[in-house]
Amino acid sequence: MSELQLSDVRKSYGGLEVIKGVDLDIKSGEFVVFVGPSGCGKSTLLRMIAGLEEITSGDLTIDDIRMNDVDPSKRGIAMVFQSYALYPHMTVRENMGFALRFAGVPKAEIEKRVNEAASILELGPLLDRKPKQLSGGQRQRVAIGRAIVRHPKIFLFDEPLSNLDAELRVHMRIEIARLHKQLSATIVYVTHDQVEAMTLADKIVVMRGGVVEQVGSPLELYDDPANLFVAGFIGSPKMNFLRGVIEPGDGGEPHARLPDYGDAKIPIKLKQAVPGAEVTIGIRPEHFNESGSAILDLTIDMLEHLGGETFAYARHGKGELVVIETKNGRGLKSGDRVAARFDPACALIFDASGKRLR
Amino acid sequence: MNTSVTRNASAVFTYGFLGLMAFLSVFPFIWMVLGATNSSIDIIKGNLLPGEALATNVGNFFTLVNVPLVFWNSAKVTILATVLTLAVSSLAGYGFEMFRSRQRERVYRVMLLTLMIPFAALMIPLFIMMGKSGLINTHLAVVLPSIGSAFVIFYFRQSTKAFPSELRDAAKVDGLKEWQIFLFIYVPVMRSTYAAAFIIVFMTAWNNYLWPLIVLQSNETKTITLVISSLASAYYPDYGVVMVGTILATLPTLAVFFFMQRQFVQGMLGSVK
Repeated sequence: MSELQLSDVRKSYGGLEVIKGVDLDIKSGEFVVFVGPSGCGKSTLLRMIAGLEEITSGDLTIDDIRMNDVDPSKRGIAMVFQSYALYPHMTVRENMGFALRFAGVPKAEIEKRVNEAASILELGPLLDRKPKQLSGGQRQRVAIGRAIVRHPKIFLFDEPLSNLDAELRVHMRIEIARLHKQLSATIVYVTHDQVEAMTLADKIVVMRGGVVEQVGSPLELYDDPANLFVAGFIGSPKMNFLRGVIEPGDGGEPHARLPDYGDAKIPIKLKQAVPGAEVTIGIRPEHFNESGSAILDLTIDMLEHLGGETFAYARHGKGELVVIETKNGRGLKSGDRVAARFDPACALIFDASGKRLR
Repeated sequence: MNTSVTRNASAVFTYGFLGLMAFLSVFPFIWMVLGATNSSIDIIKGNLLPGEALATNVGNFFTLVNVPLVFWNSAKVTILATVLTLAVSSLAGYGFEMFRSRQRERVYRVMLLTLMIPFAALMIPLFIMMGKSGLINTHLAVVLPSIGSAFVIFYFRQSTKAFPSELRDAAKVDGLKEWQIFLFIYVPVMRSTYAAAFIIVFMTAWNNYLWPLIVLQSNETKTITLVISSLASAYYPDYGVVMVGTILATLPTLAVFFFMQRQFVQGMLGSVK
């Protein structure tokens, strides 16, 4: 177990800066997930930690030792790749023991560690097979096993479940969570799948355009996003964003008027509400309920019945679609006009630049 | 009706054309084998039936030619050229594909341009170079110019595009240096590419005629292609003996191809699956 620290870490390719000053503390035993859309720099940052990409400026320390110029194999990390990166000409056993063999570890010790990892991951019967004889899930387990045998200080996972089908992905997600608990390992994990991030992470790092947008626990990010991007990225289906204008209230309480939704008025509570300011009101699909005091007059466009709950996609006139989650949606049908209610206290308010207003 | 006639005519043309091409490819081999069984005079007369002179032709060939020496010379030159060409060209192809640099593509294009220079234009400068290095009439003089083959480098670079970069990353994390990645990961993973390149380079080196003819001057250093050529250009050439020599000279390349044809096809289709 080990601590990892990034201080103003930057990466440039020629004149193009792709990582724009990342500061991050990862504590020992923490499961940290980098999440963000494609091209946001999350994999590049992970590769910089691994030593596979040079750090243009800033400091990377592991257990207070500066690692910027240290060889990848000497950083105390092990990496699991998206495509597994198993050596196709070697058996599972050889793949798992390869790094140790190169490090000069005695044969008996290699054998012991490979067997230990194989038993943790239930790979025993597969040890003498070649990667091409394994299924996707088995290959991924071997890739994880190859990381385990090195007894690394930090595990790095680069979108390890992207190549698996949906069912296997859920299974492997549980395996990885179990492994984290069992090994108490420090894990840095990259994914673009926010469900993976929410279910696995102790701490999520949301990235966009080479910048860290917000760091926090999954529920912190879900309940208290710092900006419009994080609010939209975390949560599935994503948060509804409604365009509004702040207006002074009759009795002193300001409200947001929603011009695209029949000028519906949503009471808001802000430290400083500037009348006339354009804002975005964020409301999650599950926050719609029958007892809410704020009302949107909507017509249902489409329905998704998932059994336990229903997602209704509704709009007002030609306004943006609003997603409503309801437990009592079986009787609904397309074209129904509904008064969608929600508690204004659940609404999040963002200014024109996307920053959260409190 | 019209469609059916057109389709049949098209099939007749296709099969006729393919048959002609197959005949043109196979006939020289059949003639070579039949010729080896006939006397020179029968071959000149155009006899295309099996004759009875095979034993005589074989005996004459072994009398006229120091067969073990000639085959040893050919084998030495071919194996040396093949091994060195594969080693140098695969390293170059790997380097061109794996290492980023601003000058990489420029150097690569210049190297590809050398494919357009006919060998005839290089012969005299090469001969002068070999002469100044004291290598004339040595097998090294035959091997050296063939090692840096632009075509084989091109072939390896194109094949290396299919080599997963994550394998290289994984190997780096596992503690391998670049040369170890090349030797322990790249070479085994790309073995089909090597097999295909081996066959191409082996056949080229074994059949090489013009350059050895220029630099190999004594009988002790001559390769099989030169010896067969000298038999055919004698004042009274014995074509039966020439055909026996040609059959024997063809056997090694046939053997290499038959032993490695699976890897050859795989290598041409792409090594990494």
